Amino acid sequence: MPMTIDSSEVLKRIEDAPLLSSSASRLLQITADPEHSLGEVADIVKTDAALTARVLRVVNSAAFGLISTISSIDRAISYLGERLVVGIAIDICASQLFDKPLTGYEAQRGDLWRHDLRVAIASREIARLAPQDMAVDLAFTGGILHDIGKSILSEFLTGTAQSVLETIEKGEAQDYLEAERAMLGIDHAMVGYELARKWQLPEPLQQVIRFHHKPSEADEEHRSLVYAVHLGDIIAMMGGGGTGSDTLQYHMDSAYTDYLDISVEQLTMTLLHVEEEFSKMEASLLDGKDGGT
Amino acid sequence: MSNLILGVGDFGASNSPGDIVKTFALGSCVAVILLDPGTRSVGMVHVALPDSSINRDKAKERPGYFADTGIPMLLKQMSSMGCNVRKLTVKLAGGAQIMDPNNTFNIGKRNILAVKKLLWQHGMGPVAEDIGANYSRTVSVSTNTGEVVLSSPGRPPWKI
Ligand SMILES: [Fe+2]
Ligand SMILES: [Fe+2]
Repeated sequence: MPMTIDSSEVLKRIEDAPLLSSSASRLLQITADPEHSLGEVADIVKTDAALTARVLRVVNSAAFGLISTISSIDRAISYLGERLVVGIAIDICASQLFDKPLTGYEAQRGDLWRHDLRVAIASREIARLAPQDMAVDLAFTGGILHDIGKSILSEFLTGTAQSVLETIEKGEAQDYLEAERAMLGIDHAMVGYELARKWQLPEPLQQVIRFHHKPSEADEEHRSLVYAVHLGDIIAMMGGGGTGSDTLQYHMDSAYTDYLDISVEQLTMTLLHVEEEFSKMEASLLDGKDGGT
Repeated sequence: MSNLILGVGDFGASNSPGDIVKTFALGSCVAVILLDPGTRSVGMVHVALPDSSINRDKAKERPGYFADTGIPMLLKQMSSMGCNVRKLTVKLAGGAQIMDPNNTFNIGKRNILAVKKLLWQHGMGPVAEDIGANYSRTVSVSTNTGEVVLSSPGRPPWKI
């Protein structure tokens, strides 16, 4: 291993990370509650001018190909679905985290955001297919946030990718997560969890971020959600949408069948579904970012 | 001279000198690379799933997505370019897996099996391959040299 550094240096960096806007954090709270209404979501969006503008830009972007312009927030939200609205709200306040090039994983700028979007689409589809008592849109948000720890850990990993891969190949580390811990005293799931606590994210999302590579350790209550994102992550990596050197360097927990009623055939369909949905969503979100319609 | 970039489910071929035929980040997908040294042609298909029976509409819209529809389309294209399809050199890359001792979700392996079966039905087989394992692969092939170069984040590039 090339270096060992104290995890306290990593933790210090979490303190400097951007805060969530109050609208983003209220949206996350409300949408984690299975009883919420679309009206509550709209009320929050309307209080945030930047978010309102972005939501309208996205819904009117060329990717959706609407014939007439949508100018009402209520219509925009019911058209986009609340999961996209929450995704936009997170991206507005934390885009400096999502847009980092992840040099420690030898990934390009935008790779993390694209990976997160793929995982979000896959996780939601899995949650939808598996008849479980969970909010399917929460699986989408969980997918967006699951690897947020990488944006902070990445710079501490600069130049380590090749030796990390060798330690895993030799069996000295079980997976990329363990190699991160061996080097830095902390892994990207734990860094993400610390950030999630700082952001006061709802409990199920904290669980997703912390346990997405070892779902069996999540609280029983949230385990099916964590398994959905665990599988969504694997599907994104298999489809070629990873974040660089750590792609596929993790274990699959096949005990998901105890929590999700989903067949291998359905997982295969999900791979295809992600491919279709991803390009559509990516185009509309990027259009909205550029500011033009 | 230009780059022919193939996305998931795309197939294509080139015989223009200096062209690079390229596909990015194969996870469980498989790139089937066909080389015709005589005409200096390079063809490639980026296959995502083994069998088109899972979604016939998708197969019509994008035949390269599936092994059983993609490979015949590529062969047809290369034959129309004047390649002797009986003399093509075949190389394979991709078909990676997540680490899983139980082999639960082994699309990578199923893709490779489907590709090999189809090639075999056409009397063809790979002379070189870099398949399986658990890393993603980017493939680029030059029409000048026919060299197949692979790369993956955190690894130095290599040839097959
Ligand atoms: Fe992760
Ligand atoms: Fe991930």
